[in-house]
Amino acid sequence: MRKWMSALTLNQKLALLALTLGLVAIGARPMRGSVVTIDARDLARIVATEVDHVGVEELADWIVAGRSDYRLVDLRGAAAFASYHIPTAENVPLAALPDYPFGRREKIVLYSDGGIHSAQAWFLLQAKGYRGVYILRGGLDEWKDTVLFPRLAENPSPADRAANEKRTYMSRHFGGRPLTGGAIQAEAMPVEMPKVEMPAASPAAQLAKKKRKEGC
Amino acid sequence: MTAPFFKYGMFGDETSLVIAFAIGIGFGFFLERAGFGSARKLVSQFYLNDLAVFKVMFTAIVTAMLGVTYLSWIGILDLSLVYLTPTYVLPQLAGGLILGFGFVVGGYCPGTSVAAFATGKVDGLLYLLGILAGTFAFAELYPLVARFHTATSLGDTTIPQYFNLPYGLVVFAVVVVAVSGFWAAGLVERAFGAKGVEERSHP
Repeated sequence: MRKWMSALTLNQKLALLALTLGLVAIGARPMRGSVVTIDARDLARIVATEVDHVGVEELADWIVAGRSDYRLVDLRGAAAFASYHIPTAENVPLAALPDYPFGRREKIVLYSDGGIHSAQAWFLLQAKGYRGVYILRGGLDEWKDTVLFPRLAENPSPADRAANEKRTYMSRHFGGRPLTGGAIQAEAMPVEMPKVEMPAASPAAQLAKKKRKEGC
Repeated sequence: MTAPFFKYGMFGDETSLVIAFAIGIGFGFFLERAGFGSARKLVSQFYLNDLAVFKVMFTAIVTAMLGVTYLSWIGILDLSLVYLTPTYVLPQLAGGLILGFGFVVGGYCPGTSVAAFATGKVDGLLYLLGILAGTFAFAELYPLVARFHTATSLGDTTIPQYFNLPYGLVVFAVVVVAVSGFWAAGLVERAFGAKGVEERSHP
């Protein structure tokens, strides 16, 4: 055996090593299965620093800019989704979430009515090893209050005016309307949700977007 | 500690550029040490008298593939988070042909031209200028080729996924192909390695 080994050149030994490793690797299952370990400290850090949050105005900017490097997920039921959803959202009820085919490299933004279901879904996806998971801060409620029906200051200072203009523009863009003075008093305002139907971004466009973000 | 470190947020964009710089310098160093800073060495593989490029590249592929396989098998590397270049069949075939044409004509591929220029070779510099000009032309003409550029998209796919094969089997197959390739390359070199060709003219 010794003699036979020493008769080989270094290259032949390396080739033999590669073949052996390759042979053993036939049994390798390198993709992670469903068993995962959670780094509790890491999770606590993410939660404490709130880096996992996306604000509603930020999201509105993304939608207006036509960005397609994220997936917006509506966790509510199909009926609620049909009556209104944030443009570009896809409906994934919480029960269907574990088996939903997200890409591991995707940026996933979750929202529900408030924040509880999103937070639960966030943990679920984190536990499954998805790292690019975000919660829409305040959920759909916050979206309504801030983007669709923003309350504008009655007598805006010059500094507020620019902000007001942007809010008004955003609100109109998404089919809502800004509220001022009187409307705020009327607490039981008839909030009709706008009908929004936006074509989903094509997969090719999404890929093209992604490609520019990363790679050699 | 799990890799990929960048995806797990161990460092940010700025640090990643510093790391990329260090890796790039290392890559260039080993290209040069393998003799790939010389166009003579590189093109001699097209004349079949020195297949060092083929052997070095395939060795790198096999080493990296086995490393990645084992690291992810023992759970240090999360393979599903490693970036994949999306596959576009026809555009990438066309791009490969253009690159191969440039390789034969110019004697370098993009990485080796940088290594050649770093050691003061004028043809490396000219090749680099050609890359810049080509990049500029592509960017300016992009609207004309935009449709083709994103045609026949397969997304982020791998051979095991596309052909629905066990991952480990593909790893083994690639190793077997590589080792047989090395053996065949030796035969080819012996057959075509005319004694008159002296590719060791660089220092």
